[in-house]
Amino acid sequence: MNINYKLQDKFDLSIFLPAIGLIIFGLLAIYSSTVNHPTASGNFQKQVLFVILSLIVFFITFSLPLQSFKKFAIVVYGASIFFLIAVLLAGKTVYGARSWFGIGGFGFQPSEFAKLGTILMLSYWLTYKNRDINNLKDIGVALAIGILPVILIMLEPDMGTSIVFLIITISLIFWSGISLFGLFVVLSPGIVAFASILGTYAFIAALLTVVAALFFFKKDLFNSLTVFIINLSAGFFFDYVFKVLRPHQQKRIASFIDPLADPLGAGYNALQAKVAIGSGGLFGKGFLKGNQTQLRYIPEQWTDFIYCVIGEEFGFIGSILVISLFLIIFLRLFKLSATAKDGFSVLVTVGVLTLLFSHFAINVGMNLGITPVIGLPLPFLSYGGSTQMMNMVMLGIVLNIYRNRKLHT
Amino acid sequence: MNDNYFGSFFRRRIVFVLIIGFFTLCVGQLFNMQILQQPVYSEKSDENSVKPIYQLAPRGILFDRNHQVLVGNKPSFTLRITPSNYDKKLSPFIEAILGANPGYINRILKINESYSKFIPRKIAKDVSFKVIAWYEENSSKLPGVDYVMETQRDYSFGISGSHMFGYTKEIPMSTYQKRKSEYDIGDEIGFNGIEKTYEDYLRGEKGIKYMLVDSRQKTIGRYMNGGEDQPAVKGDDLVLTIDKDAQRVAEEAFKDKRGAVVALEPSTGEVIAFLSAPQYNLEDFAKVTSNEVWRELNTNPDKPMFNRASMSTFAPGSTFKMISAIAGLEEGIIDTNTTIVCRGGYQFGDRFFKCLHVHGTVDVEASIEKSCNTFYYSLVNKLGLDIWSKYAKKFGFGSKTRIDIPEESSGIVPTRDYYNRVYGKNGWTKGFVISLGIGQGELNVTPLQLAQYTALFANSGKSAHPHFLKSFFDPKTNERYEVKPQYYDIGISKQSFDIVRKAMFLVVNGAGTATNIRLPDIAIAGKTGTAQNPHGKDHAIFVGFAPYDNPKIAIAVIVENAGFGSTAAAPIARDIIKAYLQKSDNTQTSLTSKVSPAEEEKNEH
Repeated sequence: MNINYKLQDKFDLSIFLPAIGLIIFGLLAIYSSTVNHPTASGNFQKQVLFVILSLIVFFITFSLPLQSFKKFAIVVYGASIFFLIAVLLAGKTVYGARSWFGIGGFGFQPSEFAKLGTILMLSYWLTYKNRDINNLKDIGVALAIGILPVILIMLEPDMGTSIVFLIITISLIFWSGISLFGLFVVLSPGIVAFASILGTYAFIAALLTVVAALFFFKKDLFNSLTVFIINLSAGFFFDYVFKVLRPHQQKRIASFIDPLADPLGAGYNALQAKVAIGSGGLFGKGFLKGNQTQLRYIPEQWTDFIYCVIGEEFGFIGSILVISLFLIIFLRLFKLSATAKDGFSVLVTVGVLTLLFSHFAINVGMNLGITPVIGLPLPFLSYGGSTQMMNMVMLGIVLNIYRNRKLHT
Repeated sequence: MNDNYFGSFFRRRIVFVLIIGFFTLCVGQLFNMQILQQPVYSEKSDENSVKPIYQLAPRGILFDRNHQVLVGNKPSFTLRITPSNYDKKLSPFIEAILGANPGYINRILKINESYSKFIPRKIAKDVSFKVIAWYEENSSKLPGVDYVMETQRDYSFGISGSHMFGYTKEIPMSTYQKRKSEYDIGDEIGFNGIEKTYEDYLRGEKGIKYMLVDSRQKTIGRYMNGGEDQPAVKGDDLVLTIDKDAQRVAEEAFKDKRGAVVALEPSTGEVIAFLSAPQYNLEDFAKVTSNEVWRELNTNPDKPMFNRASMSTFAPGSTFKMISAIAGLEEGIIDTNTTIVCRGGYQFGDRFFKCLHVHGTVDVEASIEKSCNTFYYSLVNKLGLDIWSKYAKKFGFGSKTRIDIPEESSGIVPTRDYYNRVYGKNGWTKGFVISLGIGQGELNVTPLQLAQYTALFANSGKSAHPHFLKSFFDPKTNERYEVKPQYYDIGISKQSFDIVRKAMFLVVNGAGTATNIRLPDIAIAGKTGTAQNPHGKDHAIFVGFAPYDNPKIAIAVIVENAGFGSTAAAPIARDIIKAYLQKSDNTQTSLTSKVSPAEEEKNEH
């Protein structure tokens, strides 16, 4: 075997350096949006501390033996579920959601930790011995692993994060080679459920489509009936979930459709974010000079609306630079998913890619007004300790996979 | 090629297209927004920013039980400085105009240094019209200085009531961090007393005016012509249980004294009068409180900030004899025929416990009427500590009365556990218990507890927890809500109460210790007491209720360092009782305005 001693062979700088670049952009934007803020002016210093801690955690994760992630998958997943239940019972309410544990002056968000647990557990389960992803029972178990945290997080309620968990679950099942019928089984309940909120007729029409599709697939009666019942109950279950949705969440979905209808509510933020980015122009208004940011038209800008600080103060060039750094990370992860040495490593890489990409797409999309306003942080940039820490853990695992890609066990 | 295998080429291509597709979409949208439509957004950013201006809501008004105003609101001018534009060289001029000490402004700016430079600081509240006129003339030379119209508390309605009303203050940072969603920096918040307990009722809801401002924050008009504005909603008006006349008499009586008064309506627990003297001036807190005022209040040896009425504790002296009497009667240890012979004291072991006189043969009635100590030394010795403390606790001593202000102490009722804890298992003797019989020793009670105890005698064991709030008026629903008292019954027989109540009647109307306060038209029952004070002259205490047949008021009065209860405390109690009862005997309406809280509010504006 030809051993390459260059650093790049052991450590993928083209993932690590863009991530560091994004973190620096994040710190600049956090500084700009909080330096004159009456209560958040300490956030920059806190974030610097978070970054240092997360880098330490990153290198620890990077140096662990690759096998350990597989070994601890069940434990980490079990702990995730435990914390998610515990936070519902004893957590602290921040912005109307029970999603935090307060420890000292800092908070800990179990749903962040659960991202790691769910990716590891799904990857472990889907690649265990001769798993048949097109067996209805195996699909069911995989879905259950992914849906359990989704439900617990929905109860907090944190819609954004539970959507990410759903996307991760579907993406990993998809990558495992699910058949067209399998994909239909996975996706149809979601479509039927969504139809159910549009009214009785839409619900019935969706169910009829499901029946037609079942005839098309020509499966046996037992399988067909099971799928139909799953669809039916999904419709009724969703009705219950919709009631769990808070008025502000329903409002957010409505304001996405027509942001001008409610210019001072949820749509107000989306509109002000667009104004901030659009007014940035080619070169931006300059660091600490964006009036939308400095005059605080957008509340809590250092979390979910951090991207419009970049857009306003660093302009088109800064905005493109940031999403290009993301693109480099995504494409490297995408390439790694083809070269990783075993199924587990592949799925973990895909899981991390899905996680980062869905956060990126929903957050940047929201800032640019192309997706609804769903509260999700932008990886590496948004203020927040738990998120920063978990993102760096994910990168640590992925770079660990990269380091071990040529080794054979 | 089979598309269904693990991570197949087909699946990879879908994901790749998704990533590149979304990236392209973002680039397109950024190009569209930041390059093509940049002028449109720039214009919006410069000219069309909506800025919410918050309108403070007037706090609810406090009325007395007959709808007389106790605490109102008045408009006032507040001078503010926004540090981002302010030039510190201006401070001496402004300080001179305000009549403040040099360095005053810098000190205030320093306190709030951690806040954003863009948030205006309140420099002086309730500034005179002269100052505002001066500002208007010179405003162009005073960058960063402005003023706003606010409402502030108006205490000019004849009574002070500082300890029960409490004051409001700018919200402290620690509270703000916890209640960010409800308050803004600089908001007023109730700090103690009724203002604190009923903060959520009194504060009202802020209004919002949406203004269009340009990038330099200059106002260029109203957003949608004010169509989206929300008017401020005034806080709930509270009708308190206080009787303004009784309160005024109490305050006048204590003008040059230290002590406390608590008067209750026995059947409902409503607080008729509540006074801790000396009081402090609530007006001082309505303005930006200066360091000088704080220093004066905190170093004054009379401790004016301390709420004596519900927080000070002392041994209640002879006023506590009725507990032992009730316990003895209830437990069957004594009855109306039981007598002892008082030869001026009680020998217990090698100690002699003194009585004030030689009373001769004394039964339970005479023991209260004449306040004979010997009877109680002997009685409590027979009762024992456990039974005695059980009855003391039944009457509410040793625990809080649950009154609706935050400042309250629970006091101490010594028990076997208490003595064991303090002195060790064998470190205390029965002699300790003997002095408890006459309300001395390690017994600690508050004036509020004493009033509650008296109310229980007045109403034969049935009362309600003391409270200040009678009803409140919500301007949003235009409705008035009555507050239901929390009734309770301590479960002691009426026979026992009748015996003790009659003795209390004789204290004033027989040959007792307080015959000096006898009134021709009102039958007062009561008991005098003296609290031993190791630091100086004893405290004088009187507890009582009236009218004897159908009690409407129960009262506890303590005058610090004034000696005997009969001479120093009882006459004050009599005057308060008189002020309260004579009015309700005539017609309630003669002295009260017929204005309902809602109409009063209209008159305010």
